[in-house]
Amino acid sequence: MSGILTAAVHPTIPDLITFIVAGLMVLAGAVGVILSRNPVHSALSLVLTLFGIAVLFIAQQAEFLAAVQVIVYAGAIVVLFLFVIMFLGVDKRENIESDPLRGQRPLAVVLMVVVLAAVIALGVNAHWATGVHHLVGRTGTPASNTARLGRSVFTTYLFAFEATAGLLVIAVVGAVVLARRPPESTGEADLEESEALGTGSDADGELGDGSAAALPEAAAAADESAEGMAPAGSEPA
Amino acid sequence: MIKPTLVDQYLAIFLLLVVGVLFAAGSFVASATLGPKKKPSGAKVAPYECGIVPDKEPPSRFPVRFYLVAMIFIIFDIEIVFLYPFAVIFRQLGSFGLVEVLIFSVVVFVSLLYLVSTGALSWGPAKRLQSGMPSRTSESTITRITAEADGPSTHQAA
Amino acid sequence: MIAPALLSPLLGTEALFDQGVGWFVLVVVVIKVLVAFAVLMGAVILMIWFERKLISDMQSRIGPNRAGPWGLLQTLADGIKLFFKEDLIPDQSDRFVFKLAPYLALLPALLIFTVVPVGGIIVISGHPIQLQVADPPIGILLVLAMSSIAVYGVMLAGWSSGSKYPLLGSVRASAQMISYEAALGLTVVAVVLITGSLSTRRIVISQSPNFWDWNFFRLGVVPFILFMIAITAELTRPPFDLTEADSELVGGFNTEYSSLRFALFYLAEFMNTITMSAIVVTLFLGGPDGPIPRFIPTSDVWMPILWFLIKTFAFLFIYVWLRAALPRLRYDQLMDLGWKRLIPFTLAWLLLVAAFVLSGWWGLGIALAVVAAGFLLTRAFAVGQGREDLDQAVLPPIGRRVLPPQLLRTPPTAGDVGPGPGSEGAS
Repeated sequence: MSGILTAAVHPTIPDLITFIVAGLMVLAGAVGVILSRNPVHSALSLVLTLFGIAVLFIAQQAEFLAAVQVIVYAGAIVVLFLFVIMFLGVDKRENIESDPLRGQRPLAVVLMVVVLAAVIALGVNAHWATGVHHLVGRTGTPASNTARLGRSVFTTYLFAFEATAGLLVIAVVGAVVLARRPPESTGEADLEESEALGTGSDADGELGDGSAAALPEAAAAADESAEGMAPAGSEPA
Repeated sequence: MIKPTLVDQYLAIFLLLVVGVLFAAGSFVASATLGPKKKPSGAKVAPYECGIVPDKEPPSRFPVRFYLVAMIFIIFDIEIVFLYPFAVIFRQLGSFGLVEVLIFSVVVFVSLLYLVSTGALSWGPAKRLQSGMPSRTSESTITRITAEADGPSTHQAA
Repeated sequence: MIAPALLSPLLGTEALFDQGVGWFVLVVVVIKVLVAFAVLMGAVILMIWFERKLISDMQSRIGPNRAGPWGLLQTLADGIKLFFKEDLIPDQSDRFVFKLAPYLALLPALLIFTVVPVGGIIVISGHPIQLQVADPPIGILLVLAMSSIAVYGVMLAGWSSGSKYPLLGSVRASAQMISYEAALGLTVVAVVLITGSLSTRRIVISQSPNFWDWNFFRLGVVPFILFMIAITAELTRPPFDLTEADSELVGGFNTEYSSLRFALFYLAEFMNTITMSAIVVTLFLGGPDGPIPRFIPTSDVWMPILWFLIKTFAFLFIYVWLRAALPRLRYDQLMDLGWKRLIPFTLAWLLLVAAFVLSGWWGLGIALAVVAAGFLLTRAFAVGQGREDLDQAVLPPIGRRVLPPQLLRTPPTAGDVGPGPGSEGAS
């Protein structure tokens, strides 16, 4: 234990450089998320932050976590954010003058000061927030890192693992329920409404252009089958 | 301190990253130096639509399915990520591990069944445009095209 | 040799630098990186030529034949030409993201190559050197991480152009890429399962020395096929190239790019094809594994590299072949294949592999369970289809147009055969 500690107290120069660079990435990204006026730029800054954290994970020899960080957070979650921002038309610059909550700016400043003070206080008093290089949670040789993680997930924390599966099913159902069309406008109502709009598109407010053009094949296929159907009953003989 | 990974392995990856960025940036500089300097005309920087002057804005909203796919992908991604540590230590866990992952997979499979049976993963075109119409399948298309090819002669004969 | 002594405290007390080999290792790393980069660039130039030439052959054309022997220098000529072209940034674009996107397309392609073992281990003046840029313990996860980052290049390029067709291309492409990533991840799990390690070098070593130890055979061919489908879709190569479906979307997500920015997308696309071929070889065909004629001196050094190149080349050929042979999928077919077929299939096969690794009885049991699950899934398909037909699917239908009444086909009744297209001419 003391061996590890003494080794840990003196981080090597490459360690230090890695930490500083990754830390700067995290901070620059975080600042970017807040200060960017364009939500897409904010999301990209978030990616930078996530990468910085992945680098920090690698520096702590938590390589599996680093990979998961990139695969799940940068590769899936921020992609969803970007989907929503880019393809739902909220990428126009937001009006940042009006606050949704009254007095949220002073509140944010107060909260920030409190949290920062708490972090500093904990860092001064507690031994676990010293920023030293892998202390007790060290997972031995790097090659066995994933294996160790697996062993604890699949033995000690087995219940949590299986519960996660259940949780994810709930998430799937939730996603579908969120995305589905309102139950009252189905069937005939759909058609009438679309006819009234003249776009013949979907009932829940999607633009005709978008839905048809994103799937030109689909639209073309519909047209094609329509043409194919024309001969059957178009002109009575 | 045993720490061969950071320098030996990740340094190489980092260096290749740097080389890649330098290459791309260098190319841009070279291109800016070598390319024409004059300011491009308004027509050149307008959105390209094969010469047709764009009169509509790009669509700003897309079908909800795209977001649904992104959401479901997150969930499946998380499920898959759990399988990597399992795969690494599978031989140590033995049949215990298999049963664990079997339960996990059944749950994943159930969510897939739900998605399929509610039609949440179905993308257009709707197979039947109106009730009462024959469904549009590969066979029907082939039949139709064949009919069209032979169409005029047969009808004239009739 | 005073420099190492001076610099060693600066480089810290890393294990590698402790033993006085610091400079050697560092130089080797730098050389590896530069060689890898140069080889990849050269490979891309050759690959573009190869694809054009082979496609021409398959279509009974001649293809590039002016610049250099057999047109070999055509790609180089094109590349040099692009340096001299106007670099347009559309006025409706998001300039920062527009400039950033080519980097995000190129870098993942480049980084994936780092974990590919191209040969065995060579010894130079007593130091064993792996013929692989890097061998991180999470090797194959790096590949997946980078391929999940590759979405950004396409997505941002299309969106930032501020133009219709690129936007449509990028929406399609990003949904396509994330859809097939799930299937891709699941097939890789099967490989990791049989190897017990995420390191690409270990994956390769576990597939030697005989060719029937290759994962291609050990996993029973199916994961290989699934992986090939998923990776082709992930690369957005034909027949999954809905990103740049020229007949619908002008040029897809990179329509608005010109000059060298366009060149970088092109470069990234082909680099991705090459590195992913190398990854397929690594995961399923034993990487550099192959018979070595030991009676030829030094053949154990270059023969594995040759094997690796031959196998990778075979896949590059297959990709070009696919492009020449297969028509593009429709978008709904693409999504159906990814979500409804590949994912359940890969999951089932993964469980089968795991069960058969344990024992035959487990395998049999799981096989039965998989068959039962297959029936359930078929039933679910039927239910889903029924809902769609009755217009009760949870999501609004796509591509459904209300047709003008004269176009609607009345249900055919007996004896009432409508006039065909030729009836007008007849009457």
